[in-house]
Amino acid sequence: MDALASQAAIAQKTWELENNVITTTASAAAADPSKLDQSDSIFFYDDVAQVKFQQDKPWSNDPHYFKRVKISALALLKMVVHARSGGTIEVMGLMQGKTDGDAIIVMDAFALPVEGTETRVNAQADAYEYMVDYSQTNKQAGRLENVVGWYHSHPGYGCWLSGIDVSTQMLNQQFQEPFLAVVIDPTRTVSAGKVEIGAFRTYPEGYKPPDDPVSEYQTIPLNKIEDFGVHCKQYYALDITYFKSSLDSHLLDLLWNKYWVNTLSSSPLLGNGDYVAGQISDLAEKLEQAENQLAHTRLGPLIAPPQRKKEFFGELQEDSQLTKITRDSAKITVEQVHGLMSQVIKDILFNSVRQSQKSCSEPSGPEPMVET
Amino acid sequence: MASSSSGLTFKLHPLVILNISDHYTRVKSQLHPPPSVHDASNGVDPSAAPPADPPRVYGCVIGVQRGRTVEIFNSFELLYEPATHSLDRAFLDKKQELYKKVFPNFYVLGWYSTGSDAEESDMHIHKALMDINESPVYVLLNPSINHAQKDLPVTIYESELHVIDGIPQLIFVHASYTIETVEAERISVDHVAHLKPSDGGTAATQLAAHLTGIHSAIKMLNSRVRVLHHYLLAMQKGEIPCENSLLRQVSSLLRRLPAIESGKFQDDFLMEYNDTLLITYLAMLTNCSRHSRRGGRTPFV
Repeated sequence: MDALASQAAIAQKTWELENNVITTTASAAAADPSKLDQSDSIFFYDDVAQVKFQQDKPWSNDPHYFKRVKISALALLKMVVHARSGGTIEVMGLMQGKTDGDAIIVMDAFALPVEGTETRVNAQADAYEYMVDYSQTNKQAGRLENVVGWYHSHPGYGCWLSGIDVSTQMLNQQFQEPFLAVVIDPTRTVSAGKVEIGAFRTYPEGYKPPDDPVSEYQTIPLNKIEDFGVHCKQYYALDITYFKSSLDSHLLDLLWNKYWVNTLSSSPLLGNGDYVAGQISDLAEKLEQAENQLAHTRLGPLIAPPQRKKEFFGELQEDSQLTKITRDSAKITVEQVHGLMSQVIKDILFNSVRQSQKSCSEPSGPEPMVET
Repeated sequence: MASSSSGLTFKLHPLVILNISDHYTRVKSQLHPPPSVHDASNGVDPSAAPPADPPRVYGCVIGVQRGRTVEIFNSFELLYEPATHSLDRAFLDKKQELYKKVFPNFYVLGWYSTGSDAEESDMHIHKALMDINESPVYVLLNPSINHAQKDLPVTIYESELHVIDGIPQLIFVHASYTIETVEAERISVDHVAHLKPSDGGTAATQLAAHLTGIHSAIKMLNSRVRVLHHYLLAMQKGEIPCENSLLRQVSSLLRRLPAIESGKFQDDFLMEYNDTLLITYLAMLTNCSRHSRRGGRTPFV
């Protein structure tokens, strides 16, 4: 048990490095007597510094100025819950926070009573009155930060900016700088078991980025793939890290004492049946498309490789359609297998009690993973 | 404090807890700004800054009540007037209106505050809220970080009319609650609390993340079961007086295993299993077809 515990500790440290959660503990203020003040200093809103930053406008010279985003635990939770509550309807809201050098810090988020954000540019206009009211009451209640961005959801089709989103964001970046766009996919979050979120800023009109940004691959459904492809060069993604206060971490640790029940009892296979079926049918369509393309080119080996050389995701290697499809199928499968693993584990834990009478029929685990 | 006899079950969402904690941290850090910011401007000696009294924050909790279950989903801040010991009513109404637009199903269920214990002055506020909701709840968060504590420092109080010394009075009584969550909430809380890898990573890291999550949950289950086991052993040896009600509960718990044992379940389970294996098989086929020779022939026969 001890070896396991120390292994777990090492694993945790590795993740603390790999992952990007920075608990605002007294890393820089080890010797400082007022340790507690220093650690939660990110929560302090410095009026003077913020106003000065607004006047300086260092971002107007460099379209790539902001590189990082720090999201508070509370903002993340609120955004994900709101996005999920919309179901399959896109919802949107605003984020409040401040800036810090080349990072935008998101402290809080709130929902807007607007629907159908993918059908018009500046859907926010409907909710201006709400925004003003909310900001005013917030300032009174002690939340002094300004609106620093907007978020919306793409239920089931990934985190990227559609054509409408790009136009909206370009408008925002002209008049409301500094502004950030965040996209959340609540369906994929639940299906994959990890938060699907992306933070973006658009380039100004006509600006060519000096180098192709390498972005993480994600599967896009067929009906949206054109929209994605046309606009994917017009914006760039920012790195997201999360932070939480010392009180937050303490509470979250204690929360785990009650939470483990939910982790064990969650059944992703049951909850995501619809979504997975949709993904598989989409994959089938893509396969048919690929097959048709291959069947039509008789001079397959000569023409196919150079034609398929797409710089779709900034990768200059050959990314044929079939490769993409394979990756998609691998992703779906991995998620399914994870879900099945949970079910099998639960079955073994709670069902195979009378082992002397029943022969142990369940195998020890599922088949090996699909190699990607 | 007596415990509640109203028979209501309370469900608390983690969002509320994080909301209150964030509110408190914000107010505290505005009152006591970090030393680095002000050393040039004020000349305030930072070491003299430590708070004498942590500020109390107040707010309202909203949610739904369905039958006997009260589910607290969300919360927002309120203004407190120390002069009248009451909350700013106009502000509450305004905020409530705003929240109604976005969450039309939720209504005011009660209020929250921070501190270590419920105080007399809290009763005023509680009574004032009674005209919105005839039986408001009071959620109290204890913001002092005590690492020895194993339980969440959140208590829920209800008000009950008790006759004390012949005078009917409202007093606060404890109510028990459970933490309730939707899947999305659980994942994001897990994400922030347990340092899961933020990007896709390889299949191996995803697998590791998933399994470790389940592993920690099972470890918890194991430790709880051990506690029970230890307790029962002690009872058997006679070290602890026999408590029949507890024994009954343990016995009923044990009788619930196996959880499901019927032919139909086995069929459905194996069908699901086979479906997943089929998906894996298909994915393997697709994968292999990618590597097959890219001739004029289609890879699919």
